[in-house]
Amino acid sequence: MRKIMRGVAVAAAVTLAAAGCAKDGDGGSGGGSTGPIVVGSVNALSGAATFPESSAAAKAVFDAANAAGGVNGRQISYKALDDKGDPAAASAAAREIVGSDNAVALVGSSSLIECEINNKYYAQEKILSMSGIGVDPACFNSPNISPANVGPYHDMTLTLLYGSEVLHQDNICALLEIAGNTLPSYQAAIDEWTKITGKKLTYMDATVPYGGSDYTSYIVKARAAGCKAITVNPVEPDSIGQLKAAAAQGWNDVTWLLLTSVYSENYAKAVSNAGAGIYVPAEFYPFTDADAAQNKEWRELMTKNNIPLTSFSQGGYLAAKYFLQVIKGIKGDITRESVTKALQEMQPISDPMVGTPYVFGKADKHHDNTAGWPIKLMSGTNKWELSAQDWLRIPKN
Amino acid sequence: MPRAENSPLTRFGVPLVLAVAAVAVGYQLSVGLDGYFVFLGITAIVAGIALLGLGVVSGSAGMISLCQLTFAAVGAWVVSYLNKIEAPGGLLLWLLCGGLAAGVAGILVGLPALRLRGINLAVVTLGLAAAADLTLIQIQFPGTVDGISIERPEMFSTDREYFWLASIVLTVCCLAVYFVRRSRWGSGWQAVAFSERGTAAAGASVRTSKLTAFAVSAALGGVAGGLLAGQVSQVYPPSFSAMQSLALYVLAIMSGAHLIDMAIFGAILWVAVPELLKRWGVPQDWGFVIFGLLGTHALTTGGNLGTAVRELWRRRAKSARGTAGIELTAPPDESIELPPLGEPVLVVRDLSVSFGEVKALSGVDLEVPANGVLGVIGPNGAGKSTLVDIISGFLPQATGTVELDGGTLNGLSPTRRARAGLRRTFQQDRVPAGLSVGAYVRFVARRRLGAAEIDDALSFFGCPPARTPLRRVDVGARRLVEIVGHLLARPKVLLLDEPAAGLPHEEHVALGLRLRQVPARFGVSVLLIEHDLDLVRSVCDRITVLDFGQVLASGPQAEVLANPEVLKAYMGETEML
Amino acid sequence: MLQGALAGLAAGGLFAVLAVCLTLMSRLVRVVNFAQSATGMFGCYVAVYLSIHMGLPTWAATVVGIVLGSALSALLGWIISTWLAEADIGTRSAVTVAVLLLLISLSFILFGNKPQPFHALLDGPAFTVSGVTVSQVTVVTVVLSIVIAIGCRAVLSKTSFGLELRALSERPTTAELMGIPAKRLSVAVWAATGLLSTLVISIVAPSQSNDATSLAMLVVPASAAALLGGFRRLDLAVIGGLVLGMAQGAVAQVDSLSVVRYFLPFLVIVGLLLWSQRKEVWDAAR
Repeated sequence: MRKIMRGVAVAAAVTLAAAGCAKDGDGGSGGGSTGPIVVGSVNALSGAATFPESSAAAKAVFDAANAAGGVNGRQISYKALDDKGDPAAASAAAREIVGSDNAVALVGSSSLIECEINNKYYAQEKILSMSGIGVDPACFNSPNISPANVGPYHDMTLTLLYGSEVLHQDNICALLEIAGNTLPSYQAAIDEWTKITGKKLTYMDATVPYGGSDYTSYIVKARAAGCKAITVNPVEPDSIGQLKAAAAQGWNDVTWLLLTSVYSENYAKAVSNAGAGIYVPAEFYPFTDADAAQNKEWRELMTKNNIPLTSFSQGGYLAAKYFLQVIKGIKGDITRESVTKALQEMQPISDPMVGTPYVFGKADKHHDNTAGWPIKLMSGTNKWELSAQDWLRIPKN
Repeated sequence: MPRAENSPLTRFGVPLVLAVAAVAVGYQLSVGLDGYFVFLGITAIVAGIALLGLGVVSGSAGMISLCQLTFAAVGAWVVSYLNKIEAPGGLLLWLLCGGLAAGVAGILVGLPALRLRGINLAVVTLGLAAAADLTLIQIQFPGTVDGISIERPEMFSTDREYFWLASIVLTVCCLAVYFVRRSRWGSGWQAVAFSERGTAAAGASVRTSKLTAFAVSAALGGVAGGLLAGQVSQVYPPSFSAMQSLALYVLAIMSGAHLIDMAIFGAILWVAVPELLKRWGVPQDWGFVIFGLLGTHALTTGGNLGTAVRELWRRRAKSARGTAGIELTAPPDESIELPPLGEPVLVVRDLSVSFGEVKALSGVDLEVPANGVLGVIGPNGAGKSTLVDIISGFLPQATGTVELDGGTLNGLSPTRRARAGLRRTFQQDRVPAGLSVGAYVRFVARRRLGAAEIDDALSFFGCPPARTPLRRVDVGARRLVEIVGHLLARPKVLLLDEPAAGLPHEEHVALGLRLRQVPARFGVSVLLIEHDLDLVRSVCDRITVLDFGQVLASGPQAEVLANPEVLKAYMGETEML
Repeated sequence: MLQGALAGLAAGGLFAVLAVCLTLMSRLVRVVNFAQSATGMFGCYVAVYLSIHMGLPTWAATVVGIVLGSALSALLGWIISTWLAEADIGTRSAVTVAVLLLLISLSFILFGNKPQPFHALLDGPAFTVSGVTVSQVTVVTVVLSIVIAIGCRAVLSKTSFGLELRALSERPTTAELMGIPAKRLSVAVWAATGLLSTLVISIVAPSQSNDATSLAMLVVPASAAALLGGFRRLDLAVIGGLVLGMAQGAVAQVDSLSVVRYFLPFLVIVGLLLWSQRKEVWDAAR
């Protein structure tokens, strides 16, 4: 037994060491002045909730740039790593891309936990991350992370604004699925809405489970509380479950004020009964508006690369595009230091796909994207439609 | 792999030297590896500790535990709570607290589950894992909401240093498991995994054995969780999802985690499989599919990677040694003086039991005299084994009284009866193959034994030496080892249920000659159930004959065997009369 | 509370059917099938896939899915009764744990983890009691669970097939000596429970959130329900399922009890074990 134990330990050591050496060989050139520029991202690519489109879109942008000659003659090597929704894997992925591969920046990450887990590590390694789609609160209140998207918190304020100010709903309730430390952020979003409109929620239930199997009791409770419109922060399967529970209860006049998290064609196909309508402030210009000029370039690139047309691919695409624009302006070597400096000193970039210009800058928080484009999904259509002609913005007080 | 049980140097020295070597290797790896692999290595170590725990509960004790990571979550919760309130002592002390808390949680969960045998623990633990999964997402770990990071000890603050710390913790856990396995607890786990009845008959509590296994496993899970907390610095529920617990269980099964080295091998698989999939560009979800397939394969074939590797290793050793049997041909030393029969030490009155409509025993009376051997004979189906089951407490629904040395045994569990001085052996093999002969004898005897005492008793019955692993002992010899263990417990009475079954016929008489001397040598009175009348004749002072669940005759040997009714009952059954 | 309880009845019916399947499995083929709902989930997902990507009509796809779920279960049963015919219930059940893990991961790979666009077989409310609408799905699952339980009981006690099955479970050696084809019967039981669980999940899945993990983990409340009947009695398993569903629904009405709700199946399991274990019984085999 002992010999085997030793054998296994030695074998493991040798394998790991060999693999480690191999890594040292092919990595480590990201910060130099020759060879490819290493850029990475940490994404939820496997497990119960996955967002693969964001990094795929970013990769498509970089591939196109490489095909056009790269940046200042250097190719971009893009590495999208999987965090499996697992904190240890998320940390490991960050260490691989930042520590071993010596990336200059992270671009297009899209994960449920990555910002929270890694923001301190990024600060320690002095690297910046332009998430494609940020979800957890740390994505929006860390100095080293600035996502390309609006984020669920401002999105919630927007959806409430749309419900109360445009649809003139007065009995709005909130059913919140709280995972992790998101409750204070959602509460802040709701408070902001109250501050702007002077209105209050009729009822709020922050105990709605993630991935629950039957939402009927929550729906019954909300209905009994007199709700006419419900705002939820669901993931797609949960939202479907909630809609179905309401339909099974015969509650057909409820208005759903949801977030961009449910904005997908798959979801539209899965919804048969949407009550009095599902309204969402899309974080990017609605991709379901097929002929829109705003999305033309993005749409062509995604179609060419067989990447699904979703908000996630919009986020990843934009993050990569912003990033390219900034590093093309760098004079001298493209290193982690120079990229960080350039991002911190960049001028705001406007893009027709979003309502607010993007800027990284030196702020301690990056939560300045405050515009969404209202869309709706009505019963029986199985199709998202525009429900406004312009961006809906959170007013600056 | 020869193992001399007796030398303290090899018992303590070799594992300790190995441990020091492991810590040294850990240090070298922590310095030599690439930063990313250091981090992965910590993940592997965390998994390794959790697997060690699973090895104890599912490997040694044979139970299904599907919430190992829930216990890890308990450990992580305690560590992050202590970190949040800035408790004194630092991470290492917190780890210990986390382990203890998880151990207590294990006892609380195990207590109801382990009262019943069978599959309950699996159902309970899966229920707990699923519930904890949802709950943790909702309530979160202390300090996560406020973004408080877990403080690593100052000496071990970087990833590299922390890796070394983790490898030290792993080594300590391995050592602990190694020594606990060799203690009474460990023997109890092996015994209970193989046979619950056998465990109870040895005077060990089945429930305690299972509970200690489960608690030790949970505590190891807690340590793993605490270590993980220090690794990722902020704890998140997805680390402890039910899916991961399931995967870890399957991994424990397929790697054979009850062997310490294989637990470590499993831990390496835990990180290597995903890492390789990543390098080959295969989606990570295939990892669990692979685990699932290998786990199914391991279970259906009854083997696992651990035993496969070991078989390869053992092949050389095997050719040199065959299976060990018994050496009984030489007659025992006849010089010992047989003491006269005394007052009855075991008195059984009016024993009856029915299974449904069938009356298995009715109104049976019998007495075992002190310093004597009572033979109970009867045709097949006469109720002999049922009688032993009732006397030893395995059929609590039976009526009648059983008195041992004047005190009543009625209402006592088999374990209690065994501890009160009434021991029994089984007709079937209930000797756990995972132990060595010596460890098993010590476990059954339940008292401090000198090596010489064990060797004497073993050689008296011609058993293989104490250090022989029981898996290499043939079935007939195992049953004699069982007898030796029980005799060394110095009970007042030992019930032997067909001890010669499984021995070649020519050795029956040799065994009988030895059993004859048992009262004199060990001070134990014997109730012998036997088929072989030659054996009975050579051993028994008195005989009770059972037929159709009733006493047909009872009295001194010659008198009973001459009884015409007994002859009649036995006609056709055997030609030996 | 009453409203919540009625609302939980649909889930209760689902638990009840699965509990009946688990009880049958435990009684007749000596296994606690942790992959019971996972095979059902897998069959349903295949049905959705066929109907969306192959353009099969919903009913046809559902039938194919149910047949597949049944076949999957039969395959598992065949594996277990071939290689683990003599093994104890623990080892046999452990195999199903591995299969549970395998099926969840495989469904992530094959079908992704986005919501499955199920076409509901049944939709909308059936009737209204004290302000709560009882959906058609609720009515059907509850009725189905009772019908299945009664049906199984009748088959087991009245038909020769049932007699053979019981003989097999109670006296396996004798049954084999009498020429009862043990393996074929076991596989048939596996197939039948696979069919039932896929059927009921096909009915319920469209009306609730239906990701792979939550469908596969339905086995937890179902085994709590089965435990009420001690994995032996079908009637108690049905009652256990319905009561558990209603209790979960009722508890969900109280915010402060939200964590309790998750632990409800677990607490029920523990409570039942404590109750049923007042006296020690020795299993003959070990």
